[in-house]
Amino acid sequence: MATLNLNAITKSFGAAQVLHDISLAIEDKEFVVFVGPSGCGKSTLLRIIAGLEEATSGAIVIDGQDVSDEHPVDRGISMVFQSYALYPHLSVYENIAFPLRVQKLGKADLDRRVQRAAEILQLTDKLHLKPGQLSGGQRQRVAIGRSIVREPKVFLFDEPLSNLDAALRGDMRVELSQLHGSLDATMVYVTHDQVEAMTMADRIVVLNGGRVEQFGTPMELYHHPANKFVAAFIGQPNMNFVPATVLGADQAGLTVELSGGHRMTLPVEPGSARAGDKVEVGIRPEHVTVAPEGMEISVRVLERLGGVSITYGETADGTRFCASLPGDAPIREGEPLTLSVAPRDCHVFQANGDVLRRQSAPEMTA
Amino acid sequence: MADTVVATPQDTAKPRRKAVSEKVFGWLLVGPAMLFIAVIVAWPLAETIRLSFMEAGLGGEEYVGLANYQDLVESRKFHQTIVRTFYWMFLSVALKLILGLIGAALLNAAVPGRALFRVLVMPPWIIPMAIGMIGWLWLYNGYFGVLSGTMMKLGITDGPFEFLAYKQSAFYSAVVADVWVGTPMVTLFFLAAMQGVSRDLYEAAWVDGASRWYRFRRITIPQIMPVIVSMSLLSAIFTFNSFEIIWILTEGGPRGATTTLIVDTYKTAISNFKFGEGSARAVIIVILLGIFSILYLQVLKLVNRKYGTK
Repeated sequence: MATLNLNAITKSFGAAQVLHDISLAIEDKEFVVFVGPSGCGKSTLLRIIAGLEEATSGAIVIDGQDVSDEHPVDRGISMVFQSYALYPHLSVYENIAFPLRVQKLGKADLDRRVQRAAEILQLTDKLHLKPGQLSGGQRQRVAIGRSIVREPKVFLFDEPLSNLDAALRGDMRVELSQLHGSLDATMVYVTHDQVEAMTMADRIVVLNGGRVEQFGTPMELYHHPANKFVAAFIGQPNMNFVPATVLGADQAGLTVELSGGHRMTLPVEPGSARAGDKVEVGIRPEHVTVAPEGMEISVRVLERLGGVSITYGETADGTRFCASLPGDAPIREGEPLTLSVAPRDCHVFQANGDVLRRQSAPEMTA
Repeated sequence: MADTVVATPQDTAKPRRKAVSEKVFGWLLVGPAMLFIAVIVAWPLAETIRLSFMEAGLGGEEYVGLANYQDLVESRKFHQTIVRTFYWMFLSVALKLILGLIGAALLNAAVPGRALFRVLVMPPWIIPMAIGMIGWLWLYNGYFGVLSGTMMKLGITDGPFEFLAYKQSAFYSAVVADVWVGTPMVTLFFLAAMQGVSRDLYEAAWVDGASRWYRFRRITIPQIMPVIVSMSLLSAIFTFNSFEIIWILTEGGPRGATTTLIVDTYKTAISNFKFGEGSARAVIIVILLGIFSILYLQVLKLVNRKYGTK
């Protein structure tokens, strides 16, 4: 297996630049997920790594070797497509064997590799069937099988689970993670689903508008988002952003007054923040509790999910606020609710979206 | 609470009368189409079959049983016509399919001005057949034709060559004109089928190192195979029944060299006023095309089994 380095990759389609100076160092056997909203350039970046698109500038280095000008097959990568890209007229066996037939591999070797891939993916009894006779999950496995037999240095996955239903997606997430463990392979995986990113990745690259917003472990992104975009993107339900005014800054942190009038001293490094600055306080829905004193919201919609109650409401000044509360919390739609959050759980974002680093958050690396 | 029976509108209507009127309404809907088919298809077909058992001409009709068919079975000339017709059909269809496939592949390639090329292939199909064939008559003309003139200039011939005056050259010249007319339709159908093949399949194969030719052979051809088979059947029927091209170019000559079954039938029935013998030929055409179509449908089934998705 191999390391993968992207050095200052840019990509333009005509006058439109879709990737801006992207540099990443992906380690051997690492599972890295590119995540971001539609149009952020994540699939384009993957296609550039695969050799299906040419970078406007920059270099792709696999295992220390610049492969930017190499044909896809010579880069030592294999790719699983969102649509699976299975050949409908060929059997499962022939689909998996396709790359080996292109390579004109000997019959015995070809058969051994196909059978091994089929065993890993539990497809042995499906080898004679055609893709049209398989379920979505099985088709996905065939597509993975086709990339396994190539024995590539780097596996590339382009939103491979997006065509599956929610239950199957959950199962396949587990299977892919297990596969990564058993193959010990370097994998790059593209998705717009932050749950997939959080559950599967060793490290996540958050992309937005063709730029890397943050590259880190899932828990780093959760506890120490680099900016408001990452904070909003990572976490389910999304983080709340409450407008606030800085009242003062000292060693204990930043004292702010939330838009509803509630005052808090938040343990963050104040940086350049000064009294009077407008900031936003980021509060994750799962970090609030019902309390006799604190921030007051008016409950608009209540979603009882059993274990938790997702509560959507508004503060007095109309700021939307979401809280994830215990399933049996005594809440009613239309009624006021007072919520409390521990200062150490709060994030503070400056007007430009950058975060003020928290002093007391866990230093998670994995 | 006791159940209450409430009469619905259906209960109160008279079901018998409604059923009859629905039936009549149905026949009224189907009637015009049935009448149309009866007048345009069924009656002429039945009349042709009836006439095939007659000695029929301008002077009247006389029942002769299977005599017309017997004459055909025993006629060496008719056998030659059948062989010629199938040779004409297979040669022309093969050329149309090969050229259509090449043309579609080229038109499907990502080249600048692709849309213009797609429009440019259509004129042979669009312009009226008679006008197109008059163009070919000029091309094939020994004294004024471009082809003969070019051949003389290049020293291939030392005098005017009348393409349609010699048996072999007339036959192949007619085939070329027929291919010219028929290829655009085949090309456009193949192109449409090729455009339906998912781009991901090609990209996946490309990532796996498959060459352009390998992708064409292992992905494009199998993916469009059902269309190839369907088009070859359609094209075969059109070519088998191709009349105007031959009639305008050669009228079946010289000395019958371009007389196919359909031309032979026309000449017998309309030119020579032998309606009975002509009808027997027409019935044989229907039978041959019927057998041919059944065989083709079997092939289509096999193809679908091999290249289908299930």
